[in-house]
Amino acid sequence: MFASLARRIVYTLPIMAGVALVCFLLVHLAPGDPLVSVLPPDASEDLRQQLIKLYGFDRSLPEQFLSWVWRALHGDLGTSIASGRPVAAEVYKAVGNTLMLAAVATLIGFFFGSLFGFVAGYFSGSWVDRVASLLSIVGVSVPHYWLGMVLVIIFAAQLNWLPATGAGPGGSTDWHWNWEHVQYLILPAVAKSVVPMGIIARTVRALVAEMLAQEFVVGLRAKGLTDYGVFRHIVKNVAPTALAVMGLQLGYLLGGSILIETVFAFPGTGFLLNSAIFQRDLPLLQGTILVLAMFFVLLNLVVDLVQGTLDPRISRA
Amino acid sequence: MAILAGAPPAIVPVVFERSPGYWATVWRKLRRDKVAMAAGFVVLLLVLLAVFGSYITPADPFKASMLSRLKPIGTAGYPLGSDELGRDMLSRLMMGARLSLFMGITPVLAAFFLGSAIGILAGYAGGAVNTAIMRTIDVFYAFPSVLLAIALSGALGAGITNSLISLTVVFIPLIARVAESATVQVRGREFVEAARASGASAFTIVRVHVLGNVLGPIFVYSTSLIAVSMILASGLSFLGLGVKPPQPEWGLMLNTLRTAIYTQPWIAALPGVMIFITSISFNVLSDGLRSAMDVKQ
Amino acid sequence: MPARLPLTTRVSLVVSAAALTLSLAVPALAQEKVLRIAMTAADIPRTLGQPDQGFEGNRFTGIPMYDALTQWDLSKADAPSVLIPGLATSWAVDAKDKTKWTFKLRPGVKFHDGSAFNADAVVWNVQKVLDKEAVQFDPSQVGVTASRMPTLRTARKIDDLTVELTTSEPDSFLPINLSNLFMASPAHWQKKFDAAASATPADKSKAAWTAFAADASGTGPFKMTRFVARERLEVAANKAYWDPKRVPKIDKVVMLPMPEASARTAALLSGQVDWIEAPSPDAMAEIKSRGNVIYSNPQPHVWPWQLSFAEGSPWLNKDVRYAANLCVDRESLSKLLGGMMGIPKGTVPPGHPWWGNPKFDIKYDPKAAQALMGKAGFSAAKPLKVKVQISASGSGQMQPLPMNEFVQQSLKACYFDVEFDVIEWNTLFTNWRKGAKDPSANGANATNVSFAAMDPFFAMVRFVSTKTFPPVSNNWGYYGNETVDKLIADARTSFDDKQRDAALAKLHAYIVEDAPFVWIAHDVGPRAMSAKVKNVVQPKSWFIDIATMTMQ
Repeated sequence: MFASLARRIVYTLPIMAGVALVCFLLVHLAPGDPLVSVLPPDASEDLRQQLIKLYGFDRSLPEQFLSWVWRALHGDLGTSIASGRPVAAEVYKAVGNTLMLAAVATLIGFFFGSLFGFVAGYFSGSWVDRVASLLSIVGVSVPHYWLGMVLVIIFAAQLNWLPATGAGPGGSTDWHWNWEHVQYLILPAVAKSVVPMGIIARTVRALVAEMLAQEFVVGLRAKGLTDYGVFRHIVKNVAPTALAVMGLQLGYLLGGSILIETVFAFPGTGFLLNSAIFQRDLPLLQGTILVLAMFFVLLNLVVDLVQGTLDPRISRA
Repeated sequence: MAILAGAPPAIVPVVFERSPGYWATVWRKLRRDKVAMAAGFVVLLLVLLAVFGSYITPADPFKASMLSRLKPIGTAGYPLGSDELGRDMLSRLMMGARLSLFMGITPVLAAFFLGSAIGILAGYAGGAVNTAIMRTIDVFYAFPSVLLAIALSGALGAGITNSLISLTVVFIPLIARVAESATVQVRGREFVEAARASGASAFTIVRVHVLGNVLGPIFVYSTSLIAVSMILASGLSFLGLGVKPPQPEWGLMLNTLRTAIYTQPWIAALPGVMIFITSISFNVLSDGLRSAMDVKQ
Repeated sequence: MPARLPLTTRVSLVVSAAALTLSLAVPALAQEKVLRIAMTAADIPRTLGQPDQGFEGNRFTGIPMYDALTQWDLSKADAPSVLIPGLATSWAVDAKDKTKWTFKLRPGVKFHDGSAFNADAVVWNVQKVLDKEAVQFDPSQVGVTASRMPTLRTARKIDDLTVELTTSEPDSFLPINLSNLFMASPAHWQKKFDAAASATPADKSKAAWTAFAADASGTGPFKMTRFVARERLEVAANKAYWDPKRVPKIDKVVMLPMPEASARTAALLSGQVDWIEAPSPDAMAEIKSRGNVIYSNPQPHVWPWQLSFAEGSPWLNKDVRYAANLCVDRESLSKLLGGMMGIPKGTVPPGHPWWGNPKFDIKYDPKAAQALMGKAGFSAAKPLKVKVQISASGSGQMQPLPMNEFVQQSLKACYFDVEFDVIEWNTLFTNWRKGAKDPSANGANATNVSFAAMDPFFAMVRFVSTKTFPPVSNNWGYYGNETVDKLIADARTSFDDKQRDAALAKLHAYIVEDAPFVWIAHDVGPRAMSAKVKNVVQPKSWFIDIATMTMQ
């Protein structure tokens, strides 16, 4: 048990190193001028050369990579070229906002996904199953950013019930869990929840249907176990997998938030990534990608470990 | 959907030593699945639209007219209204099928070939080669796919080619993993051992025995990626990282029409409907194909 | 959030606690006059004195919070915005050495932190971008600043209220350039520097600038009170401002970055903000119908076709250049843009100090244009092929595709067969520097990059001097001759403001008469404001003065 845990953790380390290298290369091998955000296009070539030196872009790539990793290990992700602010502070604040949004979306998705999946699996083959399955396939097929737009059109532009964009009347820093703030979370969270909803519904449906068909459940029923008893038995067996899927979904929502956050101008990591890309702000770009990817790697590890503890029968390929 | 799902492609059970009537059986089963057939029909229509759409558009999809901007749906001459530059929406949606489908399907197709090759090589060679390939794949697999796609195209810069490259890179690790695990399974089977013992070359073994048995499951898995690819590709264009104006592409059209959500909201939403129809059709068809081919995931 | 109230009422039974918080917040807001602005930038422009994000940065985090030695007069909507004294009261060039300037400083001006503005502060602020040895030197401010004052080299204190500035060569444009060097408080920065925990002076300096950006101190009519990175900047009235006419009557200004035009429109319509920059043209009617006001005025901005004078270019014939200028139906184009366009008569408008009464009157006269084309040997049966590189979008490009298509149609009547090479905005911009002879021009003999025309170098010199051929600067078409070089030299070395303007007027008249451009449009910088915002003056400028506005 402990040995496998240690092995799993050790196995993650080279992956993390690889992820850091990919983040760095991704950004540095790409064409384009890294100084475009601080250097007006009218600037002279002399000025450009001078700034390239001042920012350290004249050093060799391995040199830049090592110094970046070394600083990152100390919690310093460098300084944003465009804003001049430390990248780490910006990324952590954005991660907090995105995490909040992703967590709410995952919970909504988990609740409805489990509900639809369970009902569909329980009444496998009936019209209830068909409707629930349809909802789940809609969930995984709908372009969620478009759904976000449609929600804005209906609930913000037409009905004027909910705010269209932003993260609260005073920005995200004075966030409170009251209606005045939470109303900003509703539309983006709903738009984000459809994918996990669909995935979890499909997973739960398959597991429930499979379990009901198994002989021992039929046997339990024959022995006079109540429906409630069967229900409890199923939940106990389905929960670990459903929770694991939910955990991974959280990671995906965290990493894949750029489209929704762009639609809703939500100040999270996706929004940060978007401005980093369009301003060609290399330190910000690689810092944001690195933190998100690392978070995802760690989340995978945690899900693995927790799942292994909960249900030793499941081992991942 | 595994890519958005987070569930990694599980071990794919391989159907061994298929009988000559295998594909006939699959087709018979698929034909009985009415929902999948309907989805297949829609896919067929969309493909026809992509190929012939530009010849049958009722109006010039590029002809802008400042006077007829954002005409409502049902205006004479503009059955589905006009866009922010006064171009006919119906014509642009029809014409848009070509690029949108191309952007969605090409990366999966490219990743199908490259990913299968890499996965089969790793699975068949085993040992250090396998470790080197699969650990590299693991690194790419460690990125959430949307993040990887956007980071790559963001770094490479906007454009069709760069988007295709980014999406292909996103899908290769997924397909390679499936291919590798299927190949490893096949390699251990008696008939491969027998072929090897009889002195067949590695190339022949892979061509005759491995390919025939692993391509099916990889193919099914790949079809399930098309819907994801459609959504990601249009998402890239929506962010301004994919197709460039004035080319009609549904994701890009959603982007440029966003300013109109207060004046002509339903026109602004139309391109999304097309993306949705396409992706749900591919998903349903892929589901049907999977159960017809008896591949479980 | 008054517009949110109906919803709050609706759900107040369920979330009475939330409604209570809201009702407590509303009266507190009602007492002070707060102006909320949605900018087009994706991030708040830098607040440490040298804003990024182009002129929008100067507009919102430069001019309101800081002053420069010279400034633009933003008090009139009907006259050109001209340069006036700012923190300097007067200036003069040395009679013998034309690279030395003396600036007399305004007495009694205080920074927001209470420290005095004086000659030391000017020297310190010049060093922050030009002296690599100075502890406050900040590479991140160099790019945006140095390129706007290319000849400034050093600053030296003469006495407390006098400084001497030196340029690399005689340059009469210096006072204009200096409107871009905003004065940050050295004393306040020093406090941040002393408080920084980093080890090396370079790191301490960096940390000090980061801290300064979050809690800035200038001399402007507004002082920074709250800063949330990427989300919100709040500034409050500086009641002790040195210019009594510009002591703000609004208590607080909140600035929010909103890059999406639809998001800005939503924010204005729902009452989330009182002022939005660049509303999308489609939403104008809706915005007006809900009682908001649209302000616009031609800006020093030109949307042209810049023509090639490389060998073989059809534009080498002056008759052809004149014909194109006479064949664009600008009135109709303006109508198509909903009036959101200024009609150009040259690079600067009549009445501007640099106007100079050119003899070529740019107007719509297709008959004359056809005659000129006939003289040049073209007809409907034998049209002249021209190729223009354009982009589909881009900052300042207005609506490039439909506008270019309109011009294409318009020119067809005068025997022009216009072909477009549509490329990405960034590429078009980069190619601008590579020139018409570069393969990147792809055979095009005109390019469509819009530009700001506030400073004489950026408005005129860089397009017509033989010293600014690619890749040095933006003379994309290799236009130039001895006469125009002489006119430029005259302007650069006329140190009396009046004489300099007169020299620039001669240069402008010459350029219009030689027509190296097809002048097509001026941008008008539309912005929409709630009717509650009063005393708004939209000058003929990229900037606008918030200090003189009031709120109901």
